Amino acid sequence: MKPVRFLTIAALALASFAADGVDPAKFAQPPTTSWPTYNGDYSGRRFSPLTKINTGNIDALTLAWVHRMNVGPFGGGSIKATPLVIDGVLYYTFPDHVWALDARNGRELWHYAWDSTGGIHIGNRGAAAYKDYLYFETPDCHLVALDRNTGTKRWTQTICDLDLMYYGSVAPVVVKNHLIVGVSGDDLDIPGYLESRDLETGALQWHFSVVPQPGEPGSETWPNAEAMKHGGGMTWIPITYDPDLNLIYVGTGNPQPVIAGKGRLGDNLYTESIIAIDADTGKMKWWFQPSPHDTHDWDATQTPVLFNGTIDGQPRKLLAQASRNGFFFVIDRVTGKKVVTSEFVKTNWSKGIDQLGRPIPDPAKMPQFDGALVTPNQGGAANWPPTSFSPQTGLFYVNASHAYSVYYLFDTDEKPEGWGGNDRGGWGEAMLEAIDYRTGKIKWSHKWAGGGGRSGVLTTAGNLIFAGDASDNFVALNASTGEPLWHANLGQNVSNGPITFEMDGSQYVVVAAGDTLYAFVMLAK
Amino acid sequence: MPFPCSNARWLCLAAASAALLVPWAGSAQTLPDGAGKDVVLRACSVCHPAAMVSGRFMSREQWNAEVSKMVQEGAKLSDAEFTQVVDYLAKSFPSNGAAAGQVAGRGGRGGRFGFGMTQQPSGPAPGRGGAAGGAGPIDMQVVDTAAADRGRTVYIAECVTCHGPRARGAGDGVPEAQKGPDLVRSLVVLHDRYGKEIGPFLRKGHPLQSGRPASTLTEAQIADLSHFLHQKVADTLRSGPYSRVQNVLTGDAKAGEAFFEGAGGCKQCHSPTGDLAGIASRLDPPTIQQRFLFPGAGGGRRGGGGAPPRKPVTVTVAAASGPAVTGTLLYLDDFTVALRDANGQYRSFTRGRAVKVERHDPVQAHIDLLPRYTDKNIHDIVAYLETLK
Repeated sequence: MKPVRFLTIAALALASFAADGVDPAKFAQPPTTSWPTYNGDYSGRRFSPLTKINTGNIDALTLAWVHRMNVGPFGGGSIKATPLVIDGVLYYTFPDHVWALDARNGRELWHYAWDSTGGIHIGNRGAAAYKDYLYFETPDCHLVALDRNTGTKRWTQTICDLDLMYYGSVAPVVVKNHLIVGVSGDDLDIPGYLESRDLETGALQWHFSVVPQPGEPGSETWPNAEAMKHGGGMTWIPITYDPDLNLIYVGTGNPQPVIAGKGRLGDNLYTESIIAIDADTGKMKWWFQPSPHDTHDWDATQTPVLFNGTIDGQPRKLLAQASRNGFFFVIDRVTGKKVVTSEFVKTNWSKGIDQLGRPIPDPAKMPQFDGALVTPNQGGAANWPPTSFSPQTGLFYVNASHAYSVYYLFDTDEKPEGWGGNDRGGWGEAMLEAIDYRTGKIKWSHKWAGGGGRSGVLTTAGNLIFAGDASDNFVALNASTGEPLWHANLGQNVSNGPITFEMDGSQYVVVAAGDTLYAFVMLAK
Repeated sequence: MPFPCSNARWLCLAAASAALLVPWAGSAQTLPDGAGKDVVLRACSVCHPAAMVSGRFMSREQWNAEVSKMVQEGAKLSDAEFTQVVDYLAKSFPSNGAAAGQVAGRGGRGGRFGFGMTQQPSGPAPGRGGAAGGAGPIDMQVVDTAAADRGRTVYIAECVTCHGPRARGAGDGVPEAQKGPDLVRSLVVLHDRYGKEIGPFLRKGHPLQSGRPASTLTEAQIADLSHFLHQKVADTLRSGPYSRVQNVLTGDAKAGEAFFEGAGGCKQCHSPTGDLAGIASRLDPPTIQQRFLFPGAGGGRRGGGGAPPRKPVTVTVAAASGPAVTGTLLYLDDFTVALRDANGQYRSFTRGRAVKVERHDPVQAHIDLLPRYTDKNIHDIVAYLETLK
């Protein structure tokens, strides 16, 4: 394939990013000397045009520095954030915490600690930067703006209701004059939403409700107003954005109650959907639903990855997602119409594909009182860790899991609430997969001998993939063949999506493993 | 929900700076002492704040399932450590909350994410109601179960007709005029602390089913009602009393026996009069179901007490030169393989194209069945094994 447009821009980017700073207008281009957003750019591809580290010299990669958080309940904890790198400064987050480091040596410039009033502290995906601002969400439902230079607080806004057990974990994303923020929360039955906030004040610009109101389109996929009002659909993975179409793409989480779906019969739009939203108005342009009426906690929040490709000889603007339910979707990002639907791991829960390209759930594989053996398990065939698309190989990469568990219904009530069931037990194996976006076929699959890590994936124009396994190895593989070329055992599992950038003529790769950030470098000759 | 952290190993047990630890300060100290505490600290804390571990009160079966799930998600525990962790958690945080009082400063907070469902015989304890690190606010109400019991009496006398027995709203049989909303999902209840919201709301003239004015409810009755309603919210959470496996004995024992003897190939390794004799006396049906489905990974082999030690996975490593070595597999990834040989010697090898590694898993036949079973097969096998008393 020849995704010409992005490659051309990539070449231009090498020159244009010399100016540095934070210019959202440039987030459409693959980053080189910076990593200014969660995904590096707006596309979610996590592909770097840098080539100073490549298949020919990877053996010469050396450790540059290490930074350990030294916070958390016992000094432990796991960094799930993708760092930002701007003007030689690296920013990363952990629930209630933000650090700024000198990207040349890992030395701490400042550390900000938020005084929490509660909320789930399971992870924080990262920060967003604009001018001198650095924004992040807290578990206790706050959006916080810091002064990026000093780490001091500028302002805060409440973005959700902690009493309803919402929490904040997603990395905000700057789009034009908007700060796009999402919410998390899966314990009580509450509605999901996405909001746009003012960059200077945090004031609300628009509010998009994932589940429709009675009478609105999509409401016909719910039995009643009560189910809609408590229907879930959290927005806990950062959005992607197409500046030409001015569309934001967000994947939405599971419907609620999570496991017991008896009280919400229907497709439950727009939960477990990929939704295109006008960046300025917050109005929905189109939707595509990877998991109609899910009962397995298979959030379809996995990053909607944007790239241009060729389908049947025609250039197309595409969007792809390796979804938690085990299916790989390619859709037209202008219209939302399906292009490819395929399994990227073997599943057993659907009865086929409908006309829209959605898997049709098999009622027998919904949770049962006496148990239903289901694959994938609740962890999913994929989960939050970022995937990657390389325009160089035309392949989509995902750290995938093939696992079984038994799903049980627990709640015998006429009107189940909360979860109402869960899965138990399990067996699984895991592999790094390369998927041909044109067909959905697996080009190659590298099964991890020691099990699969839930790590993110990075690809580079050096024809490399960086990813983690479940044995604490940070691994570089040949992007064309899947052959492992280099590894380092970091003592804890790779826990975020790796990033790369160039500084002083040297190319760096930064990755988190547990409570520690590691920077590797190919030193300039 | 977000996937639980897949990391499990952690490196240091360094005392973290309390200044940076505002919401969690003191958490480590609140874990009660007991055998296995050190393993919990090591294996669980890499991902979970102490309060997320300690704030839940569950049965041994539930802890088993939970820890199994964590192992499946990557928590690194040996079999012996697994048992230690479940023992510790089941003893320290039992479903009846009897040991809750041992948790200094935490009061009777229970339920997975904070709302108390635990017994709290001596009234509201000092400490926070919310689960630091868990869902909801830190100042969440600590349910006083004695007060909740009194509140139930008030509820039954004044509220149950319109709001239903579980406070989830009236059922279908209730006349429209008497249909009250779901109180578990009520913003007034969720924002309430100890009656501070519920009280003023009721006194505005909310009707009571006895016909008397709501203004006649005493402060104490409103506080009791508040405890009862917060308890109903807690019941709805994932670790609430409804979160347990129901009846899995729905299969046909005869068909299960046929599968065991025939298509399943079970009899090649197992015998109803040998290793499986009396298994139904030792294990409950949900445990039996998990055990034969997943004997080699996570939950299955660890479900319930008395799990036999698993036969070790063995490995044969053949290097380019020298004799092949066989032993118990200790470690395997893409780059290294390690084993303990027949002499008790630790051996590790760098993997490469010239090094052949053959893994022999004694439970491979169970894994191979996973894509072959129907759910009917599974329920039939449970029914059959349940006959082996």
